Amino acid sequence: MGIIKAAKLAFDYLRYEEEGEEPEVNRAIDHVDLDIEEGKFIAILGHNGSGKSTLAKHINGLLVPTEGTLWVDHMNTASDADIWNIRQKAGMVFQNPDNQIIGTVVEEDVGFGPENLGVPTEDIWKRVDESLKAVGMTAYRHHSPNKLSGGQKQRVAIAGVMAMHPKCIVLDEPTAMLDPNGRKEVLKAVRELNKKEGVTVILITHYMEEVVLADDVYVMDRGHIVMHGVPKEIFSRVDQLKKYRLDVPQVTLLAYDLKEAGLAIPDGILTIPELVDALSRPEIRIPKGWKLPEHTQKKEKKELPQGKESIKLEHVGYTYNPGSAYEMHALKDVNLEIPQGQFVGIIGHTGSGKSTLIQHFNGLIRPTEGHIYFEGQDIWADKFPLRGLRSQVGLVFQYPEHQLFETDVLTDVCFGPKNQNLPPEECEKRAKEALEHVGLDESYYAKSPFELSGGQKRRVAIAGVLAMNPKVLILDEPTAGLDPMGRDEILDQIASLHETRGITIILVSHSMEDIAKYVERIIVMNHGVKTFDDAPKKVFAHYKELEAIGLAAPQITYIMYALKEKGLDVDTSAINVDEATTSILRALWKKEEDHK
Amino acid sequence: MMRDITIGQYYPADSILHRLDPRVKFVSTLVYIVSLFVFSSWLGYGVAALFLVAMIVLSKVPFGFMIKGLKPIMVLLLITMFFNLVFTPGEVLWSFWILKITKEGIRLAIKMGIRLVFLIIGASIMTLTTTPNQLTDGLERLLRPLNKIHVPVHEIAMMMSIALRFIPILMEETDKIMKAQMARGADFETGNLIQKVKNMVPLLVPLFISAFRRANDLAMAMEARCYHGGDGRTQMKPLAYEKRDYLAYLVVAGYLALSIVFRVVGI
Repeated sequence: MGIIKAAKLAFDYLRYEEEGEEPEVNRAIDHVDLDIEEGKFIAILGHNGSGKSTLAKHINGLLVPTEGTLWVDHMNTASDADIWNIRQKAGMVFQNPDNQIIGTVVEEDVGFGPENLGVPTEDIWKRVDESLKAVGMTAYRHHSPNKLSGGQKQRVAIAGVMAMHPKCIVLDEPTAMLDPNGRKEVLKAVRELNKKEGVTVILITHYMEEVVLADDVYVMDRGHIVMHGVPKEIFSRVDQLKKYRLDVPQVTLLAYDLKEAGLAIPDGILTIPELVDALSRPEIRIPKGWKLPEHTQKKEKKELPQGKESIKLEHVGYTYNPGSAYEMHALKDVNLEIPQGQFVGIIGHTGSGKSTLIQHFNGLIRPTEGHIYFEGQDIWADKFPLRGLRSQVGLVFQYPEHQLFETDVLTDVCFGPKNQNLPPEECEKRAKEALEHVGLDESYYAKSPFELSGGQKRRVAIAGVLAMNPKVLILDEPTAGLDPMGRDEILDQIASLHETRGITIILVSHSMEDIAKYVERIIVMNHGVKTFDDAPKKVFAHYKELEAIGLAAPQITYIMYALKEKGLDVDTSAINVDEATTSILRALWKKEEDHK
Repeated sequence: MMRDITIGQYYPADSILHRLDPRVKFVSTLVYIVSLFVFSSWLGYGVAALFLVAMIVLSKVPFGFMIKGLKPIMVLLLITMFFNLVFTPGEVLWSFWILKITKEGIRLAIKMGIRLVFLIIGASIMTLTTTPNQLTDGLERLLRPLNKIHVPVHEIAMMMSIALRFIPILMEETDKIMKAQMARGADFETGNLIQKVKNMVPLLVPLFISAFRRANDLAMAMEARCYHGGDGRTQMKPLAYEKRDYLAYLVVAGYLALSIVFRVVGI
């Protein structure tokens, strides 16, 4: 028996509608069998609502199974007597970095667990020192957690669990709320704990890139474990994964597509070097009958649409707390012009000034230097109608579902139009249109926004801004925390809005892969300065510079450059899997032709 | 704007005041506040000011940072001073309608102003040099006798420290929700009082929901880390008096004695 073993585990959530009535039963996990060996790195994958978090809470004894049994280190989690031992043996790290830190100073938080366990004072200090060192946070031990980045906070949370000397650590989507750098930090820390300290790691996630290095992967869907195997096996079944609302890293997808096209590529390619190696092998031959497509390159959009001038920034600078010791230049001399109808992506790591920048667009922040024009008018001129501007330049904040407040969906969406002083019928009409645009039909109108799923809530919130009929729609990280399918759905809807309504879209993100697929222009922010501003292909050509400022080009870009270095004449400006597939096939074909 | 409030914020530095036992700091702050009301002469205030300046210097907290904490209380201060100024009977210097500015009024208003400013700076020296956790630990220890009459001292202390940890987070959240609703055309500034209160609904409802969600998450995280009340719990930083703490008590006792002497002698 391994450190964690589950037999026929099932759990029901009960929801009590009214008193006396039979509660509504929701089976969150069903018939789950697990046997996890000590010292392994296990990943559990699944879309939002697949039951993976419920399973995680069982391992820590926070939930007790309705049916079946779960043993943690030979202790039954249903027995009250062992509960504290179980929680000490199987520590847990949660998704939201803010909501799991109890201490007001880093080291005090790490000491919280051992204090609860009744560890003598001297040992607590020893454990705190060791744990902070293990996650590389010793330098921050006297800091307040509020001043740390998301990745650092999660590392503190991991240290807090490590200080309890667990045998196993369960991480429930620890990276869902982090930016790419934070994600890397946390994963590195987790992997090191697994290797150096021999702690069993159970990582729950919906990011496929994170499980590449796991020893064993479980995939969950609707409460069941539907796939189980080493990453190579799992990743070779691309179609099945898609069915479970997951996706695979671009490199795996590309390998899969090339294989489908008839190339002799092995199954389950997980990393870029693997693919490049596979493609440089001599047995790679263009399949017979493959013809060079007439003109495969999709017609490039000739030029960016140059509509009427919409937003214009001139020498804009913004300083937080000017004149004090906390003075911080968030923006420095930004010049920018966004014509009506463009689809723009703004990229930058956390703290690069991108959030500050977008709040200038609708006048929520007043620049400390420079001017901002909307349709030619200075928005900070006297008597400029700022509230009117905000309905024309709609801004959807990060996690917009946190701003919902009404009792039903329709009323909440009406809030924006109502503030424009439109008659009630018009408000309702617009709200309904907006909801239709985000793919929510009449059956949702009367529902409370709080009983919807995460993705649905977010769409209601986006509709809330859309209902004001803005000419420009700015979205700050609209896909944060969503699973791959939810992410694609939202982005597709935004793209269709751009097409059908012709509104300007400004998409803020730190994921290059997301943005590359949709936008026509990318603005890269770094330390408050506009570093690049060009078409995606041109920006990604600077992938080395992007890396230097903590961003990364899409995986595809790296693959193409790596192939080119190996002497394959591919088009390095390909930015999505389709383009890359065609370009690689074409290059291989050319190589063979030359040989003849 | 919300983030400018520095009361209750800890300022990390390495000073003698930072290292003192929180109980000492708590008791000393109380003594200092009492002394402000015991002193009644300008010389007395001079002594209090001297003491305060010494503490500010010892704390190694930048004076500018401390002063920022005063701003939100300025209004309260001005109102108090105003009432003292116009409603104190005595030798009238200038009058208008029912308001009379008297010589005694001016004196009282200035004294009140000095007392309040000293009081706030004094209290903020304590919060700036003591982590909220130490502070609650200190209070927990000072109030421990109350356990005998079934006051849940540990639980209260834990609640306080959690509240302190989440105040800045909720402040930031308020700021964010406010901006998000402003982006949807909400208006938090204009209108009469009733309208203003009504306009707060889109801010307060999401804020409460968020607070509850956080509370729920936090409770779970605490349970997952084996928190089960104060029984059988050890402490990472147990409070123990050291030489410097006794010394500090001595200094404070001397200061209090001085203030009483001043009062008795009548200076």
